[in-house]
Amino acid sequence: MTTSSSRAVAGALAGAAAFLWLSPAFAHAVCGDRIFPATLGIDDPGVGDELALPTLTYLPQNSGGSQEFDASFSYTKTIFPGFGLSISDGPTWLRPGGYGWGDVDTEAKYNFLCIPEAEFMASVGLDVTWAHTGTPNMTNPYNNYTPVLDAGLGFGALPKSLNLLRPFAVTAELSETVPGQSSTGGNPNPTSLNWGFTVQYSLPYYNSHVGEIDNDFVKHLIPVTEFTFSKPISNFAPGTNQTTGTIQPGVIYMADTWQFALEAIVPINSASGRGTGVVGELHFFFDDIFPNTLGKPISKWGQP
Amino acid sequence: MMRRSILKIAAALAFALAATAANAHAQLEKATPAVGSTVAPPAEIRLKFSEGVEPRFSGVALSAEGGAAVPLGAPSVDPADNSVLIVKVGKTLAPGVYTVTWHAVSVDTHKTQGSFDFTVKP
Repeated sequence: MTTSSSRAVAGALAGAAAFLWLSPAFAHAVCGDRIFPATLGIDDPGVGDELALPTLTYLPQNSGGSQEFDASFSYTKTIFPGFGLSISDGPTWLRPGGYGWGDVDTEAKYNFLCIPEAEFMASVGLDVTWAHTGTPNMTNPYNNYTPVLDAGLGFGALPKSLNLLRPFAVTAELSETVPGQSSTGGNPNPTSLNWGFTVQYSLPYYNSHVGEIDNDFVKHLIPVTEFTFSKPISNFAPGTNQTTGTIQPGVIYMADTWQFALEAIVPINSASGRGTGVVGELHFFFDDIFPNTLGKPISKWGQP
Repeated sequence: MMRRSILKIAAALAFALAATAANAHAQLEKATPAVGSTVAPPAEIRLKFSEGVEPRFSGVALSAEGGAAVPLGAPSVDPADNSVLIVKVGKTLAPGVYTVTWHAVSVDTHKTQGSFDFTVKP
């Protein structure tokens, strides 16, 4: 992040903070009986005031052949109910490759659908990775624009005869990353299709809908497996359009105002990396921690 | 230098947040009769939430197999613990499966809802 962009971000946050008392609290990714946790490989389908800090990732060998360690944050502020702006960034250590900060990433996201009876919700967003906002060794000379669709479905509407399946939920994400310029230094900048999904089994849901769990720790766990994929679909150099991706089994501990997630990162092929990595994230729900100030939308616009 | 400062501020913020006591969405932690249990006819239904709830804006309904509603008293909270929502059951329940459907508004105005079954044994 450059000094000027840091000031711009600080100014925007200060401006937002000046209006925080204007509207009531609004929920995070809740639809009907279902609370969708924040996931690490793909985004959850909700929009809320939240902070992921830190997200720590270790890859023994990334797709470029380097050992990689990342520490990042992501902060989302709701502007009006269902609509939020987020900003993400963080440092990366590569061996070989050195240390630096990646480009600042922002997203505008709108939760346009929730069908409570079906525990189904969906959101659309536009993610932008901003050129020249990282350190010189890790910045891109062009923006990347990524329209995103996120959706989630809980299985709570299944009949009671299938009670054990009702804590299941799936979420999915589909996006396309479009570079802001078609080539750099004579090399094409490809457009990529990205997709992923998660399969979750919510023990909090089991405890409150299916059968009581006596253990206070276990009843807050959500075993999850995430699948993420990406494939260049146009403007790629010959032989570079292989599908890459990861499979990420793990578990989420969901408390009242925060959650902690820990997942393994298993590359699906050698083009995606080698060895099993790990990612962990501490996540705070500001709508629960600061319901009357930082955790509510700036405006009531659109609130039922 | 500035980035290191940001990291230090971020780490301090994370610790501060982790130590913050706050309100949240009221999630059902425990129920009496217990979720999915088989019990003698209960005189009341007690729902223990993760947060304090507002009885004026919260509610509980009870239905028998087939959907027939069972009369319940007005919801109240345990005087010693505002996270426990209590409703009296208006009659002795016949053996069978019953469904409790609840909605709760926590003291910070967040809404949650849910349902579960219990069985009254013969």
